[in-house]
Amino acid sequence: MKRIRISRCGSQLLAQPAPRRPLCPYAAGLQRNITPHSQRIQSRLQSTTATSDEFELEEGEQAQAGRSRRSRLETKHTPLEALPSPHPSAAERSSKLAALRSRLSLPQRFPLQTLARTLVHPSADPNPAFNNASLSALGSNLLGYYTTEHLLCNYPRLPMSVVFAAEYAYIGPKALATIASEWGIEAVAEPGGEVDPGLLQFKRLRPGDDVPAALRRQAPWKWNVTTTHKILTSDEFGTPTPFGSASLPKNEPVPLEDSAQSFVRALIGSLHLHLGRPLVKRFFRDHFLSRHLDLSTLFDFRTPTRDLSRLCAREGFEAPVARLISETGRLSRHPVFIVGVYSGKDKLGEGAGSSLDEARVRAAAAALKGWYLYKPVEVTVPSSTEGELDSSKWRPNMVDCGEVIV
Amino acid sequence: MPVLGLRAIAKPQNGVGAFILQCKRLDFHYCDWAGSSRGMNAFIKSSLPAFAKRNPAIEISVSPRPNQHPVIIGHYINGRQKAICVRNLTNEGVRAKAELLRDASGEKNRRVTKPVSSLNESVRGIWSPLHGARIKI
Repeated sequence: MKRIRISRCGSQLLAQPAPRRPLCPYAAGLQRNITPHSQRIQSRLQSTTATSDEFELEEGEQAQAGRSRRSRLETKHTPLEALPSPHPSAAERSSKLAALRSRLSLPQRFPLQTLARTLVHPSADPNPAFNNASLSALGSNLLGYYTTEHLLCNYPRLPMSVVFAAEYAYIGPKALATIASEWGIEAVAEPGGEVDPGLLQFKRLRPGDDVPAALRRQAPWKWNVTTTHKILTSDEFGTPTPFGSASLPKNEPVPLEDSAQSFVRALIGSLHLHLGRPLVKRFFRDHFLSRHLDLSTLFDFRTPTRDLSRLCAREGFEAPVARLISETGRLSRHPVFIVGVYSGKDKLGEGAGSSLDEARVRAAAAALKGWYLYKPVEVTVPSSTEGELDSSKWRPNMVDCGEVIV
Repeated sequence: MPVLGLRAIAKPQNGVGAFILQCKRLDFHYCDWAGSSRGMNAFIKSSLPAFAKRNPAIEISVSPRPNQHPVIIGHYINGRQKAICVRNLTNEGVRAKAELLRDASGEKNRRVTKPVSSLNESVRGIWSPLHGARIKI
């Protein structure tokens, strides 16, 4: 695992040192704010990134990139069409970018050049200094962190599979693509230097072509993939293969959804670098957590009655008993039974069904949901105390012993 | 595996956290020669800069369309367009039409009979004949 400071992830350090196009002046300012540990570490950082597997260019491509770099130096003579993605100076003149910035209520100090860079997918421009791969990696981690802490602190008893499903619902690939379309992002027909930088730049998958193998995310089925295994090795959605375009070969066409996701992630990453943590948290709360998700619809119980009796045994409650509360039309075509599940004198859950068994199973599922969806009244998430000196506001969160294991 | 998670997507609620203006682009088309564009031309000269400044979230483009009536076309986030012909309208009338397009959601016009629609379930619950005290006759 490489160790790169988080604020350096989106900086130009990931690029080759030779100058190509004029660099973003804001990024230079960002780099100046960071106090370097030592020159040696810096040089090591550069060398590791240069040899990293994620951002290395292939040999043939490198020669090609060198040629294009040389040609890009003479910007005055190079036609814009020769560039793989729009020139950074075009961002200031783009009305689409300015409109997007104010549509998302971002402050004026967030530079349009960075916003333009978040819209460049690696499939359009393989150069890491101009595409959003690094910002996207940072934003992906931030999104995962904020969503996970929200879920785990607010719902401490949630089973792990439901945590995975809830993360997928908030920041999963499909959710991010939907969010990008709700922000009014339009995509280019073909990326290039002459197009408006306010459009999403990526190489389109032609209709009828197969999705690249790196994006298909299909791992062969294994019998021994347990929940613990998923926690340790998979991503935040419980998907076994690592997703994202980092492992994608360069200049490979991708579907629109993948480039839209990378834009949303890169926007979060660049907001973190330019505007700081509090604003990113507010942006995350406004745009992601404000979406409507009913967690109780994500549960899929196999044997709720057995789970409930195991839960009662574990917690030291009396064994659950199902009792008929009310019924109507037992001998008719559509009977309704209301069944409650009781532990001693306490009613744990209640369900209605058209047969006694169905009602009992529904009642047990309702009781289990009531247990798993417990929400503490006062919650302080770990990120709320980041960077603060006094820790008096911190209240330790409840940690549950976990879901029922049958 | 006692419980599995079902995959879903969180639903958007525009305006609950952040508000995204649904109109993303307004196209203003005018004609230099025809008389029906007189109000539109006055609007573009006098009021459009202020309108654009008040609505920074909208991309505005102005382009001539010779020998045609003036028209404002709004492009919306849901992919639809709305066009309003503003022939023979005054400066104020054109501004009113532009604001109408700005405030529209892009959906088709439909009659609203129920003023409130919500994703949340009712707090009070649905009345059930099977609960509560039995009626004794």
